[in-house]
Amino acid sequence: MERKLLLVGDNPFHGISHLSQERSKARISVSESPDVAANLVCLALDNGANGFMFSVSETTLAILKKIREKGEISRLGLYAIVPYAYEYVRLATQTGGLVGLGKRFSRQLVASRNLGAIASGVKGVLGMNPEALLRTYLSYEISRIKSAAGKGARIESVLLHEVITDMALALNLDWLFKAYSRYFLKCDITPGFNTCNFPTLVDKFRGWDWDLEQVLIAAPFNRVGFQMNPSREECERTLACLKAPAAIAISVLAAGYLKLPEAVDYIAGLSNIKGIAVGLSREEHARQTFKLIKNKLN
Amino acid sequence: MGEKKLRVGVVGLGKMGLVHTSVLNVLPNVEVAALCDKSDLIRRFFKKVLKNVPILDDVEKLSTFGLDAVYVTTPIPYHCNVARTIYQKKIAKNVFVEKTLAASYREAEELCGLARSSGGVNMVGYLRRFYVTFLKAKSLLDEDKIGDVSSFKAYAFSSDFVDTKVENRESGDRGGVLADLGSYAMDLALLFFGDVSVKSARAESVVQNDAEVLRFELCQNQGINGICDVSWCMKDYRMPEVGFTVEGSKGAVTVNDDWVELRLRGGAFSRWYRQDLNDNVPFCLGLPEYYREDKYFVSCLWEGREAEPCFESASKIDKMIEDVKSKLRKGD
Repeated sequence: MERKLLLVGDNPFHGISHLSQERSKARISVSESPDVAANLVCLALDNGANGFMFSVSETTLAILKKIREKGEISRLGLYAIVPYAYEYVRLATQTGGLVGLGKRFSRQLVASRNLGAIASGVKGVLGMNPEALLRTYLSYEISRIKSAAGKGARIESVLLHEVITDMALALNLDWLFKAYSRYFLKCDITPGFNTCNFPTLVDKFRGWDWDLEQVLIAAPFNRVGFQMNPSREECERTLACLKAPAAIAISVLAAGYLKLPEAVDYIAGLSNIKGIAVGLSREEHARQTFKLIKNKLN
Repeated sequence: MGEKKLRVGVVGLGKMGLVHTSVLNVLPNVEVAALCDKSDLIRRFFKKVLKNVPILDDVEKLSTFGLDAVYVTTPIPYHCNVARTIYQKKIAKNVFVEKTLAASYREAEELCGLARSSGGVNMVGYLRRFYVTFLKAKSLLDEDKIGDVSSFKAYAFSSDFVDTKVENRESGDRGGVLADLGSYAMDLALLFFGDVSVKSARAESVVQNDAEVLRFELCQNQGINGICDVSWCMKDYRMPEVGFTVEGSKGAVTVNDDWVELRLRGGAFSRWYRQDLNDNVPFCLGLPEYYREDKYFVSCLWEGREAEPCFESASKIDKMIEDVKSKLRKGD
């Protein structure tokens, strides 16, 4: 049997709790210390985790750098999510919209001295070529990860953030999914898609005659159906119909609404789950969480 | 309804324009027939991305597309010009405008007049009306669970401009934060309590968070008084958050984006999280509320019924914003 992906999620490191902002505020102390977060990830690795799923941001890059400095980076598979939508939306708010955001990104790209990405970006802007711009952006994000995590790092998958994935689904942008996948398959990285509309994504991919086994899909799966659109039943039905495991279960605790044992019991009962991502904010969690998940899922 | 599709146009391809375009595109019996943005760069980019939809540079050009409705998702200062053109050139009689309705009460009143003359459905995008938590709070209040309401406290906070120079510039005239966040608190006050108006306003610093807060007092014609605190430079509000505590003769309701709580005088207590309130939608983009909001507007069009908040209701918010600004200037 294929070993399940047991991933440490990064939401607590960003101060995210979908259950309540009160909890988010409490978690912000963790996000302010990359050392603390890096220790939690390493402790989780000692107890059964085998990867780290994170949005590419200054916070998580600092955590990766700390893990590298500890000499632990090669022990974990990296599952990056791009773009870090929160930061880009915030920047767009501050810079006056999409055009301002584009200008800011261009400056960052030039400062990164990633010549390949700069050349592709210039080509993309001059020809208004969305695919070239996409490649530029992805190349920039990959260079950020590699620069923080170092050469020993294993980037297993890069997942497109749910807002972009779902917008592309809504607008039927099949070219975007294809261009994105093509780029990563060439780099020997599994293309991934984070979505809050799992059945819609699977339906569209089937309609485009795509091989779902080539990609990774991260989607909410939890006992109470939180964020499982259009419904828990529909998501479960779609999952059961996959030919092979392709889904990483996220939001398994329904944003802190469920207790870990009952949450993991539910996931263990699903077919075609390839892995699970769970956030950690305390050492005690890091020790217990992945031991339990490993026992139940493997 | 049959096979007929509503033909919708969207003006303004920023963040909100893209969200509405996407959601409209998945709604049954809706066709996004044309888009419009004044930025040449944006138009050139989206012409490559969205190959099947015409993207225009001028609102007036929408008149040839036989549109049933237009969404106005430009920056607020352009709302009035764009919506006026839509009505005057008879581009569509049904109009959705992202909040706030206009940049001033005078403009809002003008749009109310144009909307009335058109006879169509009109609505302003106050998203929090579609949060399951605020909907639950509204039903608790309507069911008289806390008895006669006496007062309320509200807040609307974000960290959007913590540690940025923009914060200083934007908070100077208080226009930015009021339209951006304060308007949500005002809209929910209208939803919960009916007609409210501004009693007083002042700006102050909250020492513990080192944040500048704008406080204004609202009063309702039956004597309900409330205080609203608004800030977009409050630390630790990763996402904008709006919350209310409503006091009544039999208890209190506390509600925010994540949960709603009912506390009765005898000690009975209930709390409902989003997870308890059937938050799923057929298609979710970012937040489920966008789907609910657009579905509601479209349903109102099909059924020929008035949508809320309509321009008339939303213009009261533009009036409140002006009143707060005026009271701040006068130091009232």
